[in-house]
Amino acid sequence: MGYVVPLEGCQRSSLPAVGGKAVGLWELLRRGLPVPPGFAVTTEAYREFVASEGLARELRRWLEYAQQSVEAQLEASGRIRELFTERQPPSFLVEEVAGAYARLGEPPVAVRSSAVGEDAKTASFAGEHESFLWVCGAGEVARAVLRCWASLFSPQALSYFAHLGYSPAEAAMGVVVQHMVDARAAGVMITLDPVTGDPSQVTVEAAYGLGLAVVGGEVTPDRFAVDKVTLEVRGVRVGNKSVAYRYDPTWGRVVAAPVAEAEAQRPCLSEHQVQELARMGRQLERELGRAQDVEWAMDAQGRFFLVQTRPETVWSNRPRAPLADPEEPVLSRILRNIRIPMRIAD
Amino acid sequence: MATQTVVHRFPSPFEVPTPTGAEGWQRMYPYYLLFSEENRSWEEGMLWYQDGIHHPEVLFPFDTISHEAWRIGLGQNNSRIFAIPPAYGIEQRILNGYLYITPVPVSDPKWVEERVGVFMKRAGHYYQNWNALFDRWKEKATRHIEALEGIQIPRLGRLDEEEVVTEARGMSTGWKLLEAYERLIDNFFVAWQYHFEMLNLGYAAYLNLYQFCKQAFPGIGDQTIAQMVAGWDLLFFRPDDELKKLARLALDLGIADRIRQPKRPEEIVAELRQDPKGQAWVAALDEAWRPWFFFSNGAGFYHHHRSWVDDLTVPWAAMKNYMERMERGESVQRPKEEILERRERLAREYRELLPTEQDRQTFDQNLALARTVATYIEDHNFYIEHWHHTIFWNKMREVGDRFVEAGFLEDREDVFYLNRHEVAQALADLVATWATGGRSRGPAYWKREVADRKRILDVLRGWSPVPALGPVPAEITEPFTVMLWGVTTERVQEWLGAAGVRKDDEIRGYAGSPGVAEGTARVILSASQLSEVQPGEILVCPITAPSWGPVFNRIAAAVSDIGGIMSHAAIVSREYGLPAVVGTGDATKRIRTGDRIRVDGNTGVVRILERAAR
Repeated sequence: MGYVVPLEGCQRSSLPAVGGKAVGLWELLRRGLPVPPGFAVTTEAYREFVASEGLARELRRWLEYAQQSVEAQLEASGRIRELFTERQPPSFLVEEVAGAYARLGEPPVAVRSSAVGEDAKTASFAGEHESFLWVCGAGEVARAVLRCWASLFSPQALSYFAHLGYSPAEAAMGVVVQHMVDARAAGVMITLDPVTGDPSQVTVEAAYGLGLAVVGGEVTPDRFAVDKVTLEVRGVRVGNKSVAYRYDPTWGRVVAAPVAEAEAQRPCLSEHQVQELARMGRQLERELGRAQDVEWAMDAQGRFFLVQTRPETVWSNRPRAPLADPEEPVLSRILRNIRIPMRIAD
Repeated sequence: MATQTVVHRFPSPFEVPTPTGAEGWQRMYPYYLLFSEENRSWEEGMLWYQDGIHHPEVLFPFDTISHEAWRIGLGQNNSRIFAIPPAYGIEQRILNGYLYITPVPVSDPKWVEERVGVFMKRAGHYYQNWNALFDRWKEKATRHIEALEGIQIPRLGRLDEEEVVTEARGMSTGWKLLEAYERLIDNFFVAWQYHFEMLNLGYAAYLNLYQFCKQAFPGIGDQTIAQMVAGWDLLFFRPDDELKKLARLALDLGIADRIRQPKRPEEIVAELRQDPKGQAWVAALDEAWRPWFFFSNGAGFYHHHRSWVDDLTVPWAAMKNYMERMERGESVQRPKEEILERRERLAREYRELLPTEQDRQTFDQNLALARTVATYIEDHNFYIEHWHHTIFWNKMREVGDRFVEAGFLEDREDVFYLNRHEVAQALADLVATWATGGRSRGPAYWKREVADRKRILDVLRGWSPVPALGPVPAEITEPFTVMLWGVTTERVQEWLGAAGVRKDDEIRGYAGSPGVAEGTARVILSASQLSEVQPGEILVCPITAPSWGPVFNRIAAAVSDIGGIMSHAAIVSREYGLPAVVGTGDATKRIRTGDRIRVDGNTGVVRILERAAR
């Protein structure tokens, strides 16, 4: 497959090569959904890198050491991280990444881990791997790729591997490099009601700026409940979005900036925008055949981009007993219903 | 209910004072509808709430017949005929002229269980044969209305007519008058027997789908469920459709300008009868007249809810509007395909969201049954509250004429200040003295009484009824209360004032039809004002009656004081795709024409954005 592949060049079968996030984005792309353009760095590149002289041996050594104790695991994680980040990116990587980055137009990008198996099987792995926002320049992108790879060996990841009885030495990591959306608002969307499991609802959470504040739980986002069928907004809970992550050109990086109080307590999306988003969520769920957990961002022009989708796992994996037995006569169901007392006070 | 936890207490009915000036109001109503010392301990143990959905106004003494009729009709069907296991009927009391009601539970658990078998058998029979029984019902109802039309309210002359002798009737016209009144009353009550014959079973089947949907989709809107069920050929769209046909015919005949003359519609009709073109049109009007113009501008529960046959102003305005729109080449037809397509799409898409095949099967069964019963739920009103009651109230006006002729009353409308038992007594007085040639007490007695009652009712109209009386139990086992009266946890909380301080610019009601609209309010208190409504305005009215259908073409949203999720207004609004908030209680008092308001049909909230300049 090569070391680098454009997102639109992925396929379902390339999952082992590019990881779940990249395949998820490709699923969005091929359905005409808006995804920031980008490319994936393949596990082939990762393997080439870790197979390199010196690194392979060191890596094995620290992974063995990590098995001794929790403290050893922590130390090993730090050492492995240094192995990855304290060396110059290999020239094959820099070359490939620079080429793809140039084809992208050399914009600021987000560099995100796309672990193999991360999204599909072991959902709670998500978020254990790092993302780097607003990365500029081919060299920086290549360095960010190394740091993504290193996050395969974060302390949490190592203990999770141990928990799964899975050898980290055999693990591999893809990386997604995508146009950075200069987000006016961003957040998540789940194509059900996470509280009740109601499958007829799309739930959108949104806050100002990049999605970090929502994903990291730093603000109380606005929460919109949208009817999946009619797209009517069922309910709005306006949060207090006191912080927004935005790119600060003075510092040349993403910073957490305070949001004025009046703005913080106003919904950050219009009803129409929420509906537009929910419509995309509905389309996705229908086409992928199961409830989705989506990350999205809206740029300054009000255009939406989906930056990640993965299957919802909490309600979707829960066995669902039928609500009633269709073999039972309707009349006896009616009878049961009229015997349910109405709570008129709690 | 006695064993239940009481979570709050509204005032006891025995603690509520009589408004100053309304002393003696009790005598206007039958003794059995008043709270009494004899039943005090039972009455003080129940939660009573003011029936703001069906009877929000002060009750004219005669008009108590409406709720008395449903008290019996609903009660016996729940209690004695279909044996709804946990529920008897809805008990009623009048306090300061307003109707209070309480559902009566079946408290003996053993009896509840015994009733289950009875219910299964009897209700089962109706569900299995629903369509055939509804066909039979329609025939029965139609025959019943014909019988009502046939009741003559004879004038009493100085001499009886000669036919009494030549036909050897052996009975005077005086007696015929007494008999006619008895038949009228009998006919009215029987109409309500029929009204509830299938209604609560229909609601139970609807509830079955409703509860299933709420369980499967906790956040689904009530209206969305209603939309999945709604039929297309609802009878109460029919009068409106007739107006469209008449509008088209007037244009085709080239008589549109004559119809537009600034004269009373009745005068115009009389003129049109004079020439061939006009006659062709009037013939079509006559054709549509019965039953489609026996269409109340209100709910039909009160004598003052007048109908199209009583006053053509409302249908005339609508028809003129249709003519204009047709001339502009606009379509005035309801988008039938669109509505049906939407109904099917909703059902299909919700169905697909169900997680198991069993659930989809259950959904199909529940939906099919709900749709089967829906036609009854939607259409029965036309027969009873509209067609039948229009005739009934007018027959009672004829009874009023007899009183005026005998000097008992000043005006035919005054008859409604007597309750139905008093009318029978006054007629006994009238007919007997007609027979004997002696002196009746009626003229002095009833004229004085009516004058006094007018004063008392005026005082009571100024009283704001307390929303509820007595203890609030933690739960009520009455399956129809929510649907018919909108009593929910939230509503009780609101009564309790727990919902917080009332905001001046916010009015809460029920979400009647989804969507949000902003616009200029037009407060309409009676049907005769409907022509004032400008395109794009938001209609604010006490009750959105079905005959107001035509105005829904012009408005951006609707707000009503009275009505629930299954009220006509809500159904019509959903049909026209307009946001509606119904059952607000007092929107017509708090909103003024010209105010800019925002109607949120999803949450049931109306907000006043900007007050009109005064």
